[in-house]
Amino acid sequence: MANGWSLLVGLIFILVFCAVAWFASPKGENQTIWRSTLILSAWSCYIMWAVTFLAQWHPLIRPERGDLRPRVVDHGPDGMF
Amino acid sequence: MAQHKDTLFRSADMSLTQLYIANEIGREVVSALGELGVMDFRDLNQSTSAFQRTFTQEIRRLDNVERQLRYFQSQMEKASIPMRSIYEFDNILAAPSASEIDELADRSQSLENRIASLNESYETLKKREVELTEWRWVLREAGGFFDRARGQTEEIRQSMDNDDAPLLRDVEQSGSNADAPADRSFSVMNIGFVAGVIPRERIAAFERILWRTLRGNLYMNQSEIPEPIINPETNEEISKNVFVIFAHGKEIIAKIRKISESLGADLYSIDENSDLRRDQIHEVNTRLADLASVLRNTKQTLDAELTAIGRSLVAWMVIIKKEKAVYQTLNKFSYDQARKTLIAEAWCPTNYLGLVKSTLQDVNDRAGLSVPTIVNQIKTTKTPPTYVKTNKFTLAFQTIIDAYGTAKYTEVNPGLPTIVTFPFLFAVMFGDFGHGMILTMAAIAMIYWEKPLSRGKLDELFSMAFYGRYIMLMMGIFSMYTGLIYCDAFSKELALFPSMWEWPKNFKVGETVVAHRMDDYVYPFGMDWRWHGASNDLLFSNSYKMKLSIILGWSHMTFSLCLSLVNARHFRSKIDIWGNFVPGMIFFQSIFGYLVFCIIYKWSVDWYKVGQNPPGLLNMLIYMFLSPGTVDEQLYPGQAGVQVVLLLLAVAQVPVMLFLKPFYLRWEHNKARAMGYRGIGENTRVSALDDDDDEGQNMNGGRDSFADDEDGAVMITQDIGDNEHEEFEFSEVMIHQVIHTIEFCLNCVSHTASYLRLWALSLAHQQLSIVLWDMTLMNAFSMGGALGVFATVVAFYLWFVLTVFVLCVMEGTSAMLHSLRLHWVEAMSKHFIGDGVPFEPFSFKVLLEEEPVE
Repeated sequence: MANGWSLLVGLIFILVFCAVAWFASPKGENQTIWRSTLILSAWSCYIMWAVTFLAQWHPLIRPERGDLRPRVVDHGPDGMF
Repeated sequence: MAQHKDTLFRSADMSLTQLYIANEIGREVVSALGELGVMDFRDLNQSTSAFQRTFTQEIRRLDNVERQLRYFQSQMEKASIPMRSIYEFDNILAAPSASEIDELADRSQSLENRIASLNESYETLKKREVELTEWRWVLREAGGFFDRARGQTEEIRQSMDNDDAPLLRDVEQSGSNADAPADRSFSVMNIGFVAGVIPRERIAAFERILWRTLRGNLYMNQSEIPEPIINPETNEEISKNVFVIFAHGKEIIAKIRKISESLGADLYSIDENSDLRRDQIHEVNTRLADLASVLRNTKQTLDAELTAIGRSLVAWMVIIKKEKAVYQTLNKFSYDQARKTLIAEAWCPTNYLGLVKSTLQDVNDRAGLSVPTIVNQIKTTKTPPTYVKTNKFTLAFQTIIDAYGTAKYTEVNPGLPTIVTFPFLFAVMFGDFGHGMILTMAAIAMIYWEKPLSRGKLDELFSMAFYGRYIMLMMGIFSMYTGLIYCDAFSKELALFPSMWEWPKNFKVGETVVAHRMDDYVYPFGMDWRWHGASNDLLFSNSYKMKLSIILGWSHMTFSLCLSLVNARHFRSKIDIWGNFVPGMIFFQSIFGYLVFCIIYKWSVDWYKVGQNPPGLLNMLIYMFLSPGTVDEQLYPGQAGVQVVLLLLAVAQVPVMLFLKPFYLRWEHNKARAMGYRGIGENTRVSALDDDDDEGQNMNGGRDSFADDEDGAVMITQDIGDNEHEEFEFSEVMIHQVIHTIEFCLNCVSHTASYLRLWALSLAHQQLSIVLWDMTLMNAFSMGGALGVFATVVAFYLWFVLTVFVLCVMEGTSAMLHSLRLHWVEAMSKHFIGDGVPFEPFSFKVLLEEEPVE
């Protein structure tokens, strides 16, 4: 589902979002604030997400634990989505 | 000229305006401008002391009215009569006319007299009442004393006749006197008495002094008055004692009187005859009843008067405060004697000039004056004040910037990006979905109840949080986002998507199990939740968060550095672009931009598939400087060459940064001098003021100066203040640039390292919340039965309270301070010039906010 291409898809999504934010920001004296806030927020969030994604793309270590019991593994959570 | 809108991006364009106001409407004009609140008036009479100014008389008069109003307020507090709140008035902003002010002054004068006289008579009556009450107590208590004393007349006499009488004789003879006629009058036996009331705490001293001075020649009786007596002057309760002293001989009685009066006792005359005493008590009682009704009436009148005042006192206070501010502002104007006009100079945002003009026109029309108020724009070399228009959302963010320094006029205002970067960097340190939610909800509650909260009185800590409620909202929202990225909600994992890791199916209990990865699948959003509880979780998240902080720091600093380019372009200073921005940017990117590139490149390579050992980036960066040209573990082919080029590029920028700007400035200066230009104020000064000095004109120089409306060039008093032109001195520029270069290069290293605090604090926050969970709720969950239920409830409250106070309030404050530092030091040092003058407009709104009328 998610692989290396996701980074690019995310980037395109953010670019589209920025374009929409630029043009759809409410007119008036607060337009600059709307534009700057929306676009900067989008970029900050993208950087954070992308870094996290990259860090797990080709992980060098794998999770280990010593306190597992077989039952837990069978009924472990599988994600909401 | 095409006007652009004033935005948060830069401070507003300002114009120095000159106003010529007809003397008759000076007050009205200033009052109207105070309502607008966009004019920053310059003081044109700086050399004159406060007492010599034109409107000192008026200010004194208003001071007096203000004092009277405060007197009413204190009287109302004393009588605990409530005032009508300022928020119940609709039109307190309507400016009063001069006659209304006069009327108000007269009225408060007469009211003050009336209240003062009412108060005085009330206090006199009250004093009288106290005296009567005390007298009544004396009369009541004295009866018993007299009866007792009568039985001992012989002793009183004997003890007085014979100083050396043995003490025991009293006891021996007490029986023999029992048959003596008990109702013999005291006066017959020459025994006098003094009756009165004295404060209880003095009674011991009183007795001792009497005993010592009279050598025991007295017989004293006293009893406590059960109810405290109220002193009408101070409204304090004092408990007092009644005393009656019997003694022999007139001189001794006189002595006793003197002593008791000097000790603050009140003496009352009573009769020894019990019938007469009864009559006296009756009389006192009727007088007290009369007095009480009079007192009640007086009090009612006073209260009614104060209540009537209380209905409009706040409005009066506001009016007087405004009026005083108007005259204080008028004192800054210079007065043209000949033409009966006031001349004012003020800084005003250029975009508001139209509004100012139309307001002045309105005032003129209302006054019906034929002479218009003239508004002149002056060209000046002075630095205009920095004015950034804020609203309630941006105010707190702008305050963060202004706390560091006032931005230079029209330089890029860092307040605009701060709206995002400040809460975001906070959230990187605070990242936890649950804690972010608490923060967001608190902020939303404060915003929802904004109006009632802003009117009430808040304590210092809460009012600070309330002031920053919009910052808090942004911080909360971003914390929720970063919490999702970190996959933390109250330190527990959030399993949003299927994990990319799978535990193997068969293993022994207690064995260390290693998860294996699902094929070609990367966890799509944030950290994989399978890392939670893994024994090597910290190993992974530390490496991730460390690199995350470096990348965020690099982005933040690059962004800030770019703002310096915007500044240089705005101030049309090419040399700042080529001498500072470009070399600085190349230096920064060739070291830390390269580091960021390497981090991302290393992540994007599948080292297991390549079958190569992943190189350590820290060592790579260190050896890039220590031994350029050699690479131990290769990251990518051709790495050694690239690194040498980048290093040379970075080193080459240092001399460019050091010498380009100072030498260019010197060359420019020499060229200008060679062409015959001199700096203003270097040798000659050309201004209207000088002409006035030459001619020895009046102090304002008003007569000979006239406004030339076409080019708006006359500056009558513009040369007040320092001469802002500095001479060019090469050594100074050079030193400045050397400092800047050293600072910039070293700061690139230390500032990047400084962003590692993002990693450290987010690690600390996460670990602390894990510990808190393990110590409270997890322990409770491990118990069973009724004890388990009880323990869970107790542990939950403990956990919740600690979460709010330790993890949200304390940790939040610390993360906020670190974020503040990253903005003030790491980001703003890259572009902020910050030598501006704050814009302080004459505004009634600001005035009332600074000194609120309660």
